Amino acid sequence: MKTPPEWRWRERRRAFSLALLTVLITTPLAFLAHFLLPHANLSLLFLTAVLITAARAGMEAALYAGLLGFLSFNFFFTRPYYTLYVHDDGDLATLGFFLIMAAISGKLAARMQCEIAQNRAMVQRLTNINQFTRMMAAAPDSETVEGDLARHIAATFHTPAWVAVMEADEQTSIHGHDGHQAVAPLPERALAELQTFKEDGSYNSWYCFNLNTAHGNIGQVILQTPKLNPASHELARILCDLAAVTLERARLVAELEQARVVSGTEQLRSALLSSVSHDLRTPLASIIGSTSSLLEYGDNISETDRKELMRTVLDEAERLNRYIQNLLDMTRLGGGKITLKRDWVDISDIIYSAVERLRSALAPYQVAIDIPSNTPLLYVHGVLIEQALVNVLDNAASFSPPGGAITIQVSTDSGSVLLDVCDQGPGIHPGEREKVFDMFYTLREGDRKHQGTGLGLAICRGLVETHGGSVIALPGKNDQGTCIRITLPHHEPETKELHDVA
Amino acid sequence: MSPKILLVEDEAQIRKFLRISLEAHGFTVHEARLAGDGLKVCADEKPDLVILDLGLPDMDGQDFIARLREWSMVPIIVLSVRSDEAEKVEALDAGANDYVTKPFGISELMARIRAMLRMRGEEKGHDESVFESGDLRVDLATRTVTVGGKLVQLSRKEYDLLKLFVNNAGQVLTHQQIMRMIWGPSREEETHHLRVLIGHLRQKLGDPPARPRYILTEQGVGYRLLAMQ
Repeated sequence: MKTPPEWRWRERRRAFSLALLTVLITTPLAFLAHFLLPHANLSLLFLTAVLITAARAGMEAALYAGLLGFLSFNFFFTRPYYTLYVHDDGDLATLGFFLIMAAISGKLAARMQCEIAQNRAMVQRLTNINQFTRMMAAAPDSETVEGDLARHIAATFHTPAWVAVMEADEQTSIHGHDGHQAVAPLPERALAELQTFKEDGSYNSWYCFNLNTAHGNIGQVILQTPKLNPASHELARILCDLAAVTLERARLVAELEQARVVSGTEQLRSALLSSVSHDLRTPLASIIGSTSSLLEYGDNISETDRKELMRTVLDEAERLNRYIQNLLDMTRLGGGKITLKRDWVDISDIIYSAVERLRSALAPYQVAIDIPSNTPLLYVHGVLIEQALVNVLDNAASFSPPGGAITIQVSTDSGSVLLDVCDQGPGIHPGEREKVFDMFYTLREGDRKHQGTGLGLAICRGLVETHGGSVIALPGKNDQGTCIRITLPHHEPETKELHDVA
Repeated sequence: MSPKILLVEDEAQIRKFLRISLEAHGFTVHEARLAGDGLKVCADEKPDLVILDLGLPDMDGQDFIARLREWSMVPIIVLSVRSDEAEKVEALDAGANDYVTKPFGISELMARIRAMLRMRGEEKGHDESVFESGDLRVDLATRTVTVGGKLVQLSRKEYDLLKLFVNNAGQVLTHQQIMRMIWGPSREEETHHLRVLIGHLRQKLGDPPARPRYILTEQGVGYRLLAMQ
């Protein structure tokens, strides 16, 4: 690691001061030891001081301490005292070994300290990467990823940073951050210039990293600093790679979702088209066939058959009318364009209107209606709930055997009014009870045995849910047929002077 | 002289089947394709009844009703499409007397026309004090109501409501019209009172709500007293 010269000088002064202090403390201690234990080898005391200095302050301080300790020991504790002259060979050897050991132990301690510092830096880096990885994993979209990357880089390297990413729509989205708050994007010209720079590295007063994915470069990270040390460069590189991978993943997810939506809409559109053409043409075929027969051969057809044919025309036209109403409702539901005009409605009025509208379709069946007299008024858009019921009844009629019973049963359950329509048809398999409410369900199943567009129940559910209610399919009575249950919330009228009514 | 009916409708096919059916019932039919022509025919021919399509190319049906009502009280039956109850209510409030929803069967329209013309006839001639429809018999002179010969006791409000229906037998009355007549103009919003009152009246008349014989519900619009001969 390169450091500026003034910094080095300060460090050297600090090391020297520390060494001096250590020796100044050790020397009186040595005098004390010499007085208490005259035969102790005092050089070991000085050596301990050197070791402590080495461990605390590194190699340089250890050498100073060794030198100063050597001088102090020599001056005070070797004969002749108070001179730097050494009389005894043993003392000379001690001094020599002392210097060597001071150097070696200082070196060892310094290396240990350096390793600790490295380990600490490594841990810091790993923590940093770890933290960023968690951030990336939690980011819900590329917008967040880019913002997080700018903020994290800025905070890590203490310099403003920008993330410029080319979006799918060819627009460049830029996120800038200075570690504390978002900053304005780079000027366009500077950015355009920087974007031509395809290698990582410094460029005038900027430092650039490219965001690379398997599908090529997708953007850049720009730091407002001319230089980065190799460790920082490497860390930034790792962070950029992590972000690039996350961005690519977010993109793939978005593309996948887009593809799913498109194919879903396509499927719905083609189902709608085939439904429209089939369901409009079927009744039209009967109408055209019957009327042309009447027109061409009317004279040869018996009175009864003529009436029969004309009845067919009427019934089929009514079916067509219901179907068109369904298409209208479906578009309104789909566009969210339904505005509820709620009013107080007697549920028996709704049932009556619905049954009346389906009079000819329900004629072949035995319709039983049970409405308890204490059923509360509903606060709903009557025409829409009537339409929902018409769809359920229409469905029941098309699945009932000739002469089968269709029962309409009203009941009240804590805060809700339940409307059950039960038929004696073939019933619905338990696994499909939810699916019958999907749009075009019958179409998707390719089941054209029964009349029905696959719209009716879906619309019924849509209309009822708009009112805060629900529609479910249940097994029929005595496990025969199906019951469709419409649940509507019950509102309490703000009754003022109700006695007025009686 | 056979009653004169003016038909204001821009669809030629609908005009055709209506003219054939109406003439088969002995009415004299005048036709107009546009609202402007319709107003002119009204002034020239003084028809006994107007059938008006609300979706005309040259003028909003509501405006037609308002213009006609400035000088004529001729009964108006409007033809409207199903999806919009608000449009029907608006037309009725503007002065139309009844409506038929497109597409409709001819019998439905004929019943409306007959009820309307009968009411006009009664207004001009002597007032009939007794109304009968099926088992229901209402004598307005003695204020007695019987169903199948049995006397029915009604509260004051219930009787007022029934009288209102009888006076407009066969014709639709909007919720607002009924509220105004029974409770006065300040209470028009409290429609649940009306539902409760209708419920009580039906119960006393022995009119099963899910299969009513006398008081019919026009969903989202109002009620109508069925006038059976």
